[in-house]
Amino acid sequence: MTVSPTIRALRDSLLLLFWGALVLWIAAEGQLSIYLHPSLQPFTITAGVLLLLLALFGFRGMFRRSSSPSECNHSCDHDHGDHVLDGHGDRESSNQATVPHHTSSHHDKIDAYLAKKRMEDADDRRVKRDHHPVHDHGDNPLPLIPLLIKTLLLLIPLMMIMTGRGTGFTITTVQNRGIIGNINNLPAAKPRSGSLPIYQNVQNSQVTSSSSFVAKDQGLGPSVQQGGTGSSTRTSGPMPAEIIDLLYAVQMPSYREDFEGKQIELVGQFVPLTTGNPRGDRFQAIRMFITCCAADAKPVGVTVQYPKPVGVSEMGWIKITGIPKFPMEGGRRTAILEASKVEECPAPNEPFVY
Amino acid sequence: MFLSTVTFQFSPPDFQYAFLSILLEGMPFLLGGAILSGLLEEFLPQNLMTRFLPANPRSAVMISGLLGVVFPVCECGIVPVVRRLMRKGLPVSCGITYMLAAPIVNPLVILSTLAAFRGQAAWEMAILRFVLGLSVAVLAGWVVSYLKPEDILRDGVLIFSASEHEHHESGQRSLIDRLQNAAGVATRDFLDVAVFFVVGAGAASLFSTSVNQELILPLASNPPLAIASLMGLATVLSVCSTTDAFIAATLTTFPMAAKLAFLVFGPMLDFKLIFLYSAAFSKRFILALGIGLFLIIGLLCWRLATLNLGW
Repeated sequence: MTVSPTIRALRDSLLLLFWGALVLWIAAEGQLSIYLHPSLQPFTITAGVLLLLLALFGFRGMFRRSSSPSECNHSCDHDHGDHVLDGHGDRESSNQATVPHHTSSHHDKIDAYLAKKRMEDADDRRVKRDHHPVHDHGDNPLPLIPLLIKTLLLLIPLMMIMTGRGTGFTITTVQNRGIIGNINNLPAAKPRSGSLPIYQNVQNSQVTSSSSFVAKDQGLGPSVQQGGTGSSTRTSGPMPAEIIDLLYAVQMPSYREDFEGKQIELVGQFVPLTTGNPRGDRFQAIRMFITCCAADAKPVGVTVQYPKPVGVSEMGWIKITGIPKFPMEGGRRTAILEASKVEECPAPNEPFVY
Repeated sequence: MFLSTVTFQFSPPDFQYAFLSILLEGMPFLLGGAILSGLLEEFLPQNLMTRFLPANPRSAVMISGLLGVVFPVCECGIVPVVRRLMRKGLPVSCGITYMLAAPIVNPLVILSTLAAFRGQAAWEMAILRFVLGLSVAVLAGWVVSYLKPEDILRDGVLIFSASEHEHHESGQRSLIDRLQNAAGVATRDFLDVAVFFVVGAGAASLFSTSVNQELILPLASNPPLAIASLMGLATVLSVCSTTDAFIAATLTTFPMAAKLAFLVFGPMLDFKLIFLYSAAFSKRFILALGIGLFLIIGLLCWRLATLNLGW
């Protein structure tokens, strides 16, 4: 059983249309940030548009071919690499290709192989042409089963997207990848310039525009109001911070000074601490750090000390208020957030840190 | 003790999540390669590439390895481009050299390696990655030049290209018709290779989310095992060559030679690429290429590890 070139062209165009539409749909819903680093999102959106464009070209080719099936209108969408030729000068063009333009035996061998293949293909096509004198200027009919399998494979991602999209990794992947608690193991992370100007500014009730992402990422609600000029003003309450900030503070004394004794607020995902927790009053707050896409995400985490039950499921989003400490434990400095309040919160718009 | 840490925990939502993220990340580059392939088919005259290559096959292979510096294509998009260039007359050995070298020697990869390894012998790592990647690709090209193309290529890859077909002379057709043909070729190439990409992304997602990556940590103190394990990790993770240095740099317990092996082997052969290569090359050749690359990169990095370069 075979599939006609027209059906294959229709299948190709529809696949491109579905892929392009779904990519743009995800982008339109603002969901790309769940999967990709911001620097890659424009490429994916552009690809979505290009897929639609290719689909349109495909439909145009089908339309033109169907409107003049017996003519060579030169606008068909065939792959010149494997279509049924009409025999115009097959042998001549093949013979031209047999003339080696390199004197080396290496290139002669390649050229001879290419020429041989071309001669065989031309002969094959000539036989086909004799049996099918009216060609459709498309591709050879293709076996049905392989084409069906390929089509199904290409539909799998679409079905996955349609049936439900992920919002984050489960504890399984976090455990398999291991939680990073040392900023030296995170070379892609960039330190904030200066000695935490954000926190100095916070003390003056002013958050600069360079740090406004903290407020945006964490969705801090009424205590942070976005300003019209890209700056935001904080009137009261604990300082917003990221888990990565605390990891930097472990390594950099100047950062530590900015934190010590001050109440902060950070958002992360709850991970129970099963080892090194004899009193059972500690857990970890993590964020996924990505350099490229969610597939390369690495969990970064900080230990939180909180004597009460948290009451949140594994990997649930929590907002923690507390005071960071940087004691020496096990012979090395570490960050521990002594929490006074832990509450469940919605996932931030951008679940990753970069 | 060690065996007790070997775990395989499969989480369907994590698999789905990683799978879609790899697809959304790699698809633009695959599509870019396919569109480039379409434009090459339509606008690049037959055998033009070979006219610019030196007659000496060894020199031609070397030049092909450096093509990636000026004509950068990442590993996701390289297969359709190379397949098309070979159809256009580029010798198979040159095509394979370009395919293996381009994801490593391209300027963006050099810059990302420098950035990722800052404070960890960044220049040494970037230079060694470039030199080792290029050398291995050229070596592979030289070996391939002694083989018959039909032993290397998948059936049908070099089917007659009719660009010189008289009624397709470019002068007789409008630009829109030529773009139409280029789009047709791009569509076919994209969907052909995308099938393998989907399977490769599935394999990479399965292993990157289900296998405990910390199980290789005990191997870090033994250079040969560290090198082999990081090459294995590179295969499993299937990270893009522009960002893999950021992953390698986090493996602080491993020797630099092992990280170098990760950075050279990964862009040449990972799960995703094994399936992508299947769109152009025979299974036997891919297997031989994989074993050859693993051995040669492993041995070279092991040799570097013993040189005590002060990393």
